[in-house]
Amino acid sequence: MIMAPGLRKLALTAHVTSSIGWFGAVAAFLALALVGLTSQDAQLARAFSLAMELITRFVIVPLAFASLLTGIVSSLGTKWGLFRYYWVLLKLLITVLATLILLVHTQPIERLADTAAKGWLLGADVYQDQLQMVVAATAALVALLTLTALSVYKPRGMTPYGQRNQQEQSTSVAVEDALTN
Amino acid sequence: MADSPSYPDADHARMTPKRGSATRVPRWVKVFVIVFIALVLLFVALHLTGNGFGAHMHMSAIEQGVGQQ
Repeated sequence: MIMAPGLRKLALTAHVTSSIGWFGAVAAFLALALVGLTSQDAQLARAFSLAMELITRFVIVPLAFASLLTGIVSSLGTKWGLFRYYWVLLKLLITVLATLILLVHTQPIERLADTAAKGWLLGADVYQDQLQMVVAATAALVALLTLTALSVYKPRGMTPYGQRNQQEQSTSVAVEDALTN
Repeated sequence: MADSPSYPDADHARMTPKRGSATRVPRWVKVFVIVFIALVLLFVALHLTGNGFGAHMHMSAIEQGVGQQ
């Protein structure tokens, strides 16, 4: 089902906004994790843990789901389709995987924030956790940059499904032409 | 996920793979998938060896913290 141009642009606007927002929120998360990593102040480290949990719960997770859903809608509503081109298919796989990994990491982040709120954190543990958050956020940024690059470059290559689909459409058009002539 | 079609609509014939390579997977996809799988395996390995996020890392902090209360 191909969407009307206005609807397609609306879906695309939502997708670009949520995707860029996701990237920005992860960048903010990374900044907090980096500052928390280098800070010697335990109070600051606790504050950063709490802030990171808030950003994750209220910004990163909703934007990740919004990006995934709007991406699926945008793909299905255009001739690109969701499974016709490798770059779209890979974007889908990366987005789904990144969202799943994010959800897996949400629980430890919440637990860390809960621990921080209770004032139980120790310096060495904070350092180790912050280091891992820096690594995770950096990996997420690389994944999101890859998604952006795929969207911009749209490297060529049609999947077997796309090729079959294309052949079927060509055949049906040829039959219709033959019938009308 | 996909913006306005530039090549599905614009010049379909030009973008259609050549007959001989119609079913071939492009090289960039192969490289991409190999790198992707390697990174996923690295990620899983890091977690299984206890270098990733995990309850065990945080529980030790909690337990030590509780001990200090």
